[in-house]
Order: sequence, then C-alpha cells, then structure tokens
Amino acid sequence: MPIRILPSQLVDQIAAGEVIERPASVVKELAENALDAGATQLDIDIEQGGLGLIRVRDNGSGMSVDELPLAITRHATSKISTLDDLMQVTSLGFRGEALPSIGSVSRLRILSRRAQDSQAHELLVDAGDVQTPRPAAHPGGTLIEVRELFHSVPARRKFMRAEATEAGHVLRLVERLALARMDVGFTLTHNGRQMLRCLPAVTDEQRLARVAEVMGDEFAGACMPVVVEAGPLSLRGWISLPTFSRSQGDLTHWFVNGRAVRDRLLINAARVAYRDVLFNGRHPAYVLSLGIDPAEVDVNAHPQKQEVRFRESRAVHDFIQRALERRLADTRPGLQSSAGDIRGTVFAAPSTNTFARGSSGSSGSPRGYAPAPLRPQGFSFERSSPWQVGEAVAGALAVDALQPDDRPLGQALAQLHGIYILAQDAEGLVLVDAHAGHERVLYEKFKAAQAEKPADSQALLEPLVLTLREHEIDALLQSGADWERAGFELERLAPGSLAVRRIPATLGHSDIGALLREVVAGVLDDQGVHHIEGAEHQLLATLACRAAIHAHRRLTLPEMDALLRQMEQTERSAQCNHGRPTYARVSLPELDRLFLRGR
Amino acid sequence: MKLTASREQILQPLQGVIGVVERKQTMPVLANVLITAQVGEPGRLTLTGTDLEVELVAAGEAAVSQAGEITVPGRKLLEIIRALPDRTQITLTLDGDKLKVSAGRSRFVLSTLPAGDFPQVDEVSAEQAVVVAQGELRRLIEKTHFSMAQQDVRYYLNGTLLESADKTLRAVATDGHRLAIAETTLGEAVRVAKQVIVPRKGILELQRLLGEEGDVSLSIGTNHIRATIGEVRFTSKLIDGKFPEYSRVIPANPTRIVTADRNMLRQALSRTAILSNEKYRGVRLSLSAGVLAVQAHNPEQEEAEDSVEVSYQGDEVEIGFNVTYLVEAIAAIDGENVEIGLTDSNSSCLIRSPGLGDVRYVVMPMRL
Repeated sequence: MPIRILPSQLVDQIAAGEVIERPASVVKELAENALDAGATQLDIDIEQGGLGLIRVRDNGSGMSVDELPLAITRHATSKISTLDDLMQVTSLGFRGEALPSIGSVSRLRILSRRAQDSQAHELLVDAGDVQTPRPAAHPGGTLIEVRELFHSVPARRKFMRAEATEAGHVLRLVERLALARMDVGFTLTHNGRQMLRCLPAVTDEQRLARVAEVMGDEFAGACMPVVVEAGPLSLRGWISLPTFSRSQGDLTHWFVNGRAVRDRLLINAARVAYRDVLFNGRHPAYVLSLGIDPAEVDVNAHPQKQEVRFRESRAVHDFIQRALERRLADTRPGLQSSAGDIRGTVFAAPSTNTFARGSSGSSGSPRGYAPAPLRPQGFSFERSSPWQVGEAVAGALAVDALQPDDRPLGQALAQLHGIYILAQDAEGLVLVDAHAGHERVLYEKFKAAQAEKPADSQALLEPLVLTLREHEIDALLQSGADWERAGFELERLAPGSLAVRRIPATLGHSDIGALLREVVAGVLDDQGVHHIEGAEHQLLATLACRAAIHAHRRLTLPEMDALLRQMEQTERSAQCNHGRPTYARVSLPELDRLFLRGR
Repeated sequence: MKLTASREQILQPLQGVIGVVERKQTMPVLANVLITAQVGEPGRLTLTGTDLEVELVAAGEAAVSQAGEITVPGRKLLEIIRALPDRTQITLTLDGDKLKVSAGRSRFVLSTLPAGDFPQVDEVSAEQAVVVAQGELRRLIEKTHFSMAQQDVRYYLNGTLLESADKTLRAVATDGHRLAIAETTLGEAVRVAKQVIVPRKGILELQRLLGEEGDVSLSIGTNHIRATIGEVRFTSKLIDGKFPEYSRVIPANPTRIVTADRNMLRQALSRTAILSNEKYRGVRLSLSAGVLAVQAHNPEQEEAEDSVEVSYQGDEVEIGFNVTYLVEAIAAIDGENVEIGLTDSNSSCLIRSPGLGDVRYVVMPMRL
C-alpha cells in the first residue's frame, strides 16, 4: 500500500483510542473541562454504565457561538497558547484532543451559554460529522451529552465490561475529582439513581465529611491531617493512623497540583514512610495533595495524565517520605492526646498554595484538611467478666486514686494476666500491651544507635558476582557513598557484572543477591538505599521483639511506670513494630455507662 | 518373614540407622525402616533408613526362619525394643500387613508399608575408592564442619568439599565469610584427583557414625558417596555444584605473624564477646609490639576490653572480626599455641598451629 495521509476522522479515532478508553475516560475529560472552565457545581448523569448516555452539566464560563465549532476541532484549546504555557501547565487539560476524540466515536451534543450572551447555542456531532451551531435554550454554563459511545467503533465496544463495572469506574473517577476539588459540588446518577452527592466543602468539618463520604467513615475516624510546606513544595491531606491498615492499596489517592494521579514515585514514597509502622504486606490509606511549581513537573508524560514526571524526582521523594515519617513519628501517646494543639497550628494557616491552578474556580482556600480525631482508635468494651487484677491494685488505688494524672499514659496500677498494664490518667483507664510497647521502645533505640555511624560491614571471602544490565550498575554506583555508609563495597568487574566485596554485617547470611536485585529495581525508581535500610530495620525489629519483655512476666509498679514513661518519650510508640496498637483507653464516662451510673 | 534375635542384636543396627528417620513426614514411608531378613547360617538381619538424601544400612545376625522384607515405623520400633529388658529374645513375624513383635509376655502389632515402596539407592558406581582411618576422617570433619553454610542460597556452600589428590585427603568448608581446611595423608596415592561436595546433613551423620578404631572405606561416584564402617553402610547424595576455588583465598604470605597462647587468647576473646553486638559479634583486635588487645562494644554502649601477650614485633594495626569465627577456629586447632597471620585491616587472616599446615582457617575481616 502506498503511503498516504489519513483522513482526519480516522486520525481522531486513533487519538480516541489513546484518550478514550472507556466511559470513565469521557467523564474525566468532560469534568476536567468543566473544572478548567471554573465551574463550582458539576452534575453528571450516566445511563447504561455510560455507554448509553453521559451528560455533564456545569455552571462554568461557557462558550460563545464562534467557539463551538473550534471546540470539536483537534488541537484547538483555550488552555494554553505558547510553549511556555506548556512548560507550566496549570489547567487539568491542555492538549485540545478530548472533544474531537469523543466526537469521533459517539453522538455528541454541546449546549453552552456564556453569562454575557443573551442566547445559548447547541452543536451536534455524529461520529465526527459536525453540524452548524443553532440557537437553543440553556440557563448558563455548558452541558455536554455523549450518546452511544463507541457506536462507530464496534471493536472497542466489544471490550466494554458489564454496565455495573463501567459505572463503578465512573464513580471512582468522580470520587477522585471530588477529593481533588473540595470547593466544587458534585452529583452523579446512574440510570436515574443517585450514586454520589457532595456539597461544596468550605469548612474543615465539611472537608472531612467529604473524605468520609469517599474513603469511608472508618478512615475518617482513624486519620490525621498533614500540612507541610517546604519552600516550593507543599503536602496536604489526611493519612491513616498506622493502626488503620488495609490488605490492598486501594485507598490511596494522590493529587499533584489538583490533578489526580497514580504515580509510582509518589505511591512508593508513602509506602516507604509507612514501612516502620505497618506490618509487612499491609497498605496505608491516604488522601494527599502535593503542591509543586508547575514548571517542576511534566504532566505531558501520559495521554491520560495518570503519571507525571518530576524534574527533581529524588528531592520530591525525600520530601514526601520525610514529611510523612515525621508525622507518623508523632503517633505516641503524649502527642496524640494533644491533637487539638496540632489543629491550632495547622488550620490557622491561610491559603498559601502559591501554585493555584490557572482556572478561576480554584482561587479559594487550599484543599484538604480537617480536625484530627482525638483518639487513635475506638475502644469497644465488650467483656464484662470480672477482672483478675494483681494484689498490688488495692494499695495503688488507695494511694493514687485521688490524684488525677496528667501524664499521657497515666500512672500504672496493676498488671492484668501478666500481659496488660492498667494505668489511670485524668480521663479514665489506660490499657497498655507491655510487650508491644517495650518492643517499640527497644526498636527505636536500636535504630538510633545504628544510624549514628556507618554500618559495620563484613568482607566476603569471594566476591559475590551479579550479572546486571549496564544502566542498572550505573544507577547503583551513582550513589556510591550511600552504599559505603550502608556497609557495601561494590565494584564493576566488567560490563554487565558487578562484584560485591563487603556486605552489611547485620545482613550476615541473608540472600544478598536477591536483595540487591530488588534494590536495583528500586534504584531505577529513585528509592535505592531505602531497600537496604528496610532489610536492616526488619532485622532490628526481630532483635527488639526477642529482647522485649514477654507476656506473663511479672512487673512491679515502678517497672510498669518506667515503661509508660519510656513509651511517652518514644516516637511511633502507639504501634508495635508490626503495626498493632500498644495502648487503648476507656474513659470514665464509658466506664460509667457500663455501670449505668448517672442515668 | 519371621526371625528371632536378642534385644541387642536388633537395637544396635536400629540405633545406627535411626538418625536419618524423621517421625514427621510428608512421605509416610520415610518414617519407616526397611527390615530385610535373609535365611542362612547364621541368618542376616538388615535395617535401612533414609531421608532421600542420606541412606544408612546396618546389618547383624539373627535366627531367620522365613526370609522376607517389610517396612515399619522406625521410631516406634526403636522405642519398643529399647523398652524391653536386656537380652530378651524378640520375635518379629509378618502376618498379613501387620508386623508382630513378641518378647516374653509383651506383644506389639505394628502397621507396615510394602518394601517395594521404600526408596533405595542403587549400587554406587565407584569412580574412586579410598581407605582411611576412621579417626582421621572424623578429625577432618570435626575441624571443618562448623564453617559450613546453613541454608545459603549458594547451595554448594551447604556442605563440605572432600578432595582426594595424590596422597592427600582434604576437607574444606566455607560460609562465604570464613573458610576451614583440614587434610590428612593417605596410605597410598589415589589414581585420579577427585572433588565432591557432601551435603551438611550427610557430613553430620557421618561424623556421628565414625569411631576412633579401624578403617573406613570410601567409594565415591558421580552422584553419591558411600562409606562402609564395619556393619554400617552410609550413602549420601552429593551436591552438584562448583565449590569456590579455595586455594585462591588462603593468604599466601601474611606480613604480620602473631603467636599467642591458644587458651589465653580463646578465653580473652570469649570474655570480650559477651559485650559485642549480638547479631554479628564484631570485635576489634589492636596489635602492637608484644600485646594483642581485644575490644568490643554493643548497641547499648557497653564495652569490653581484654588483652593477651603475644610474640609480635612490628608496627601497630587494628582489624575487626566476627569473634565467633575466631573463637571456633582457635578452639578447633591443636597444640599449646596458635599462630595468626595478618596483613592489614582489609585482608583476611590465617589461623593455624604454629608451623603446621594440616589444619588452617581463613577469616575475613569486618569494618567496624
């Protein structure tokens, strides 16, 4: 076949293949257009999972009658005009591909009116065949209807899943948008049935309510706010307490300058930050918004803009990891009980999001924060069997019962079944898992000792020779000093072969080859030595577990008190090394309820 | 099958083979021992145990009235025989698929599995036969076995290299951090040099079987090694892999030679070890004229220091080691004194009896 230029409709359909994968992609493009047009209310209706009808209605700026035909022309957009604009995209869309692509694979109807126009106009497109605009009635903003999606591309239609599945994809998409744009109201209906309704959220309570709507009440009750600013970078949102973990990473939402992304670098930075407080294989949950200079991030890396590229990816990774680690380090008894103070400093901050999106709708306050829950976990009190407390309890009560204790974990009273420490504070009863608490205290101590100096390393009789690809070796050797500090001596033997001459002494007889291969994959993702650190910390955690006091060890009151005081001083001491909680509280009112007091 | 034998006639071979029989098995037949009875004057009783890697066969005399073979639960049979009074006459009778054990007024009925199901090693095609004194082979194993790796991914390290060349039989074991080498001289030269790796389990079982008196004949094939020790026959699979080129890692000319009283040094090291990091046991050796100082500290910031007199006249040097490796090596060599050859803090050290080369240890340093 001779080479020839493709008809423009076919070009659109090819482009549609990249951008429009399923109904949810159409909703995404249309909703993002609406948000870029400054809408504050979005009403989305779909039928038959979006294959029958997608209708997106906004109260944004609208389009004039002259703009309508341009809107469905390829590479026509109002969002950028020069290369400089492209280098620092502030709108959600910018390619000018979405509407023509959608128009080429569906029956499209656009109805729009600007505030200053007296008349709305309507434009119909049928599988790329554009009619002339004609006057119509519409109150303001834009309404776009997409009917019979993919009717002109039967091949694509065949790949659509069941109606409910496609509707589920649309729902998750709208949920992400709702998290990204708290200031915008959203409704979503499927076949006339309401699936989501979010009022514009302005106050912290409303924002948390929206998070609860999308992430579930359980998350909302077990999360803490994050607000960190460091120069041009800012990080805001909510992260789950370590005691709230999931078996899947499904409740992880990342936004970069208001754009929902699923970026490996970001997800990994959060994972690494949680490594120390979550059990292996468990996932955290979070809604996090990264603010960054638009010139520092390239959103033009992926047709659906799911992935982004950072100019300084290592710095971004480290910023996020540090910020979250610091926040998680505060999960200790002393600080959690004063979450109210944290709120004071956090929520007083004015809108400092210097990189607000270019569209008019985002000029409001920065997205995303809400009050911290006051307690790390709910405590349900089910057993009513009599407690068998040690004989010490009577004496202790006699001495201390009258003085309320201000210390976060209170004053130790007794040991329960050799496992739990009972303590009282001003508000009621504190139960502490002695082994779990001691384990964390030791673990943090070991880590601190380890971090003080370069790791001890063991020389190998024969170097371990690994066969890797050249660029992998380059990546490994680039951070040579880090490796040295971690206790490794690496040397390139020949192209594609790397010799390991020394290994960290703590890793003694573990499978260094496998570990390094894992690290190589990590290095290419900009996380390098974190892997080694992870492996070493795992060992320290095992040591700490072995060294900690075990259940059924009798403790005296001074011993118990000493442990409580140490826990208050220790970072992350609200969880043991495996992410289990170390203490729980029962307040006096809760106890009163058990005994029907004051009714 | 029917046979009668004294308690001791059954107990001795049974104890010889029971070491490889595990009670908990995914393959039930491996929890059993194979009993083979041969009619003759005198009749023969042969017991076999296996874990598919190591097979042990022990034989003895018995009055066999009806030949046959069957397998029965090994540990249970051992406990029964052991619990019977000394010198009791025991009769084993196969009745259908049960084995009856009767002795005096005691009767036991054991379940059986067919002898045909029992995995047995075929005849080993010996490519080399070596005869060596039991005590010597045992010495080789005792001097090296602690340096074998345990469950290392480099599977060829989870065993001991047995090497025969000319008139030398040599055992080498390493875990990648240290290496042990011991050798002995053979009565006559072997025809061809041969290197095989005997798995960890086989080495430890062989060590248990070897006594002080008499010889052991080794026959080495491609896939198996077989040792015949009196009435017991040991067969182990070999590890198919390439053992590290050990001669390359033995320091040829250490520049600093230190000689110390073996016991004093060992005790000083053991004392210091108490306060070393419990995971990897790092200690620092500081060598100066006439004195070897040993220091250790642990993550709790506790410290230990000790020193011994040594014959050394040279400049000062510091070098770190895993103290376990040093102590095990120093404990294993013979003689009053120990000689340690060092070069610098990045090079391996060589430990041996002063002037002797038949038992040597190479330990890689640590950077502390």
